[in-house]
Amino acid sequence: MSTTASRANAPDDSAISPSASTPAPVAGRGRTRFTGWVFVLPFAVTFALFMVWPIVQGLWMSFTDESLTLSGTDFVGFDNYAEAFADPDVWSSLGNTVFFTVITVVPLVVVALAMALLVHSGLAGQWVWRLAFFAPYLLPVSVVTIIWSWLYQPDLGMANQALDKLGMEPIGWLSDEAFAMWSIAALTVWWTVGFNFLLYLAALQSIPDQLHEAAALDGAGAWRRLFSITLPQLNRTTALVAMLQVLASLKVFDQIYILTKGGPNNSTRPILEYIYDVGFTGYRLGYASAISYLFFALIIIISIAQLRFFPRQEG
Amino acid sequence: MGRRGFLRLGLAGAGALAAPSVLAGCASPASPSGSSSLRVWDLFSGGDGVLMDEMLATVTSGPDAFDVDRTILEWGPSYYTKLAMAAAGGRAPEVAVLHLSRLAGYAPGGLLEPFDLDVLAEFGVTEQHFAPAVWERAKWEGEVYAIPLDTHPFIVFYDKEIAGAAGLLDSDGELAPIGSPEAMFAASEALAAEQGGTGVLFGHVGDQAQCWRMFNGLYAQTGATWELPDGGEPRVDADAAVRALTFMTELFDGQRNPNNLDYAGAMAAFQGSRGAMIFSGEWELPNLRITDRPLGAAPFVQIFDQPAVNADSHSYVLPRQERVDEGRRREAHRFVATMLKASYTWASAGHIPAYQPVIEEDRYAELDPQASYASASEVAVLDPPNWFTGSGSNFQNQMTQPMSAALMGNMSPESAVEQMISASQSMLDDPNPVA
Repeated sequence: MSTTASRANAPDDSAISPSASTPAPVAGRGRTRFTGWVFVLPFAVTFALFMVWPIVQGLWMSFTDESLTLSGTDFVGFDNYAEAFADPDVWSSLGNTVFFTVITVVPLVVVALAMALLVHSGLAGQWVWRLAFFAPYLLPVSVVTIIWSWLYQPDLGMANQALDKLGMEPIGWLSDEAFAMWSIAALTVWWTVGFNFLLYLAALQSIPDQLHEAAALDGAGAWRRLFSITLPQLNRTTALVAMLQVLASLKVFDQIYILTKGGPNNSTRPILEYIYDVGFTGYRLGYASAISYLFFALIIIISIAQLRFFPRQEG
Repeated sequence: MGRRGFLRLGLAGAGALAAPSVLAGCASPASPSGSSSLRVWDLFSGGDGVLMDEMLATVTSGPDAFDVDRTILEWGPSYYTKLAMAAAGGRAPEVAVLHLSRLAGYAPGGLLEPFDLDVLAEFGVTEQHFAPAVWERAKWEGEVYAIPLDTHPFIVFYDKEIAGAAGLLDSDGELAPIGSPEAMFAASEALAAEQGGTGVLFGHVGDQAQCWRMFNGLYAQTGATWELPDGGEPRVDADAAVRALTFMTELFDGQRNPNNLDYAGAMAAFQGSRGAMIFSGEWELPNLRITDRPLGAAPFVQIFDQPAVNADSHSYVLPRQERVDEGRRREAHRFVATMLKASYTWASAGHIPAYQPVIEEDRYAELDPQASYASASEVAVLDPPNWFTGSGSNFQNQMTQPMSAALMGNMSPESAVEQMISASQSMLDDPNPVA
């Protein structure tokens, strides 16, 4: 994502800097550069201290048997990594994370697009729709999980009451292994689809009207224009949304930890919760770090694959 | 004033603000008389928290008053992470509350300091004031690392009128012994008939400990033990475990009694008079007695060969500190002794005071229904001791998950027990981070 952003900004930067430095004589250049560094310094220091250093420290930790408690630290080489590869819980929780990612990314892209298209088509009461679709995104995770835990409540919950009205058997939305992850996915879609919706809406508004007018003059109907103009114009946004979404879904932890604590029978435990369990409840920071780095490597591979397979240019 | 001058002034101001606290930091070790405040961490919120406030109010006033700086942290895995980290860093509070079942994860790693029994005796607290079973668990390698404040067992609450009508009470109006799975099924059906609703309630869905609490007591009732020898293999009587779990799945099978309640749902059902009996921790007493129901209580029912009740114990510990202030440490001993003696108040939360003189008081015998289950502490069964077990531990969670699945009919008791044993094995295989 950050690459995309900086690429997009690059032309602007180059456009500004020559004009800014033109009035200053050549001798002033060094000073300007120094001033620039001073401005960057606070962030650079914070970034180094709270991002780069922990990452380095964590990598080192993954090669040790570091624990939260006192027993001292020994270098153990690749033992932690070997253990992680052989640990069935790593694989099952990783499987849960990947499953969650698959079942959330698709609806989070498709539903967001559909909602944006509907709103953009000129429905009456634009602001109501925009607010309604985006509002859940503003809620903190604790509020979202409280709302949905009541919806999913086995006896009093709205979900089971609705089933009851339809003459169907109640479902253990969060307690049945077959449904729990899907229930969490539904909650997540409701909660976060608004952000993607907003990205799509902005992209839709930036498609030049002339394209549609020209196509309409040539006799293209609404569907033809959707598939031949709108969707291709949105390609770049779709790539961005999908990429952000895959990363966000892989990071799933909060709503699962609050709602099911990874249950029933570990069927919703994501890998981040396993890392948390191992590191913080089990004190094994070294091993937890090793699992984190394996997961980190996986995320990098997925990101690179996405960069390769998704179009980065319009059309 | 220019910008630089302004900044300089700001720095000077910050320095001035910092100075008094630096001085205060120096002052405290010089006053061993107890004028410096005693930092205490506990995990009591809700009704427990209010009572703890009450007890603290009594010890923080008067001539020998303590100056207590209390920090309340939420119970759960994160409490134990925070306490372990504070002790590992050597900047822990003077006194903290620890579940006795967690001692094996703390004492061997050097995260706790042993109590000085001579000092405690000076303040009137000695070994003979505690039930032997509980006292033994407070020791590690001969030293006492924890002073139990209470025992909090997993018990049964029931509606006295309904149980009476169902013929389940003895001549004293207490719950009569049950003794076998069949008798429990019959009792459940009789309760359900009188209630016109559910017989026995139990909430476990999504909970990380409830199934283990019930199982741990029932399994011990068969005479078997769940042993987790360090670095070895779990020594478990799988047949007895299947027997205990099968009973649980038969009592809560979705027909006889609901098998899909969560913790809060089961509580609400009992409070709303939709069930006649509930299996629960005694700490729910304040929540259950606010209803108008004639509330009875009893130690967890004996179903198998011998009495046993799952329990744990809130105990006081002295977390490791880098620099120990002897004056404060002595104060910590006096504080613990004083709180124990004031623990009659604590009993109104439902907890059984560990300090026996309090239980022997006449006024304790009059506490209803607390006195009905006070005997539970004599047959208390805690978690098998190991670094990874105990209250709020991953062990309890990993035991509970398959049992919860078995109760909901997604797994057979046999395969659930198999999963519990293999989970125990994999935790034993983990290198011990506190050894």
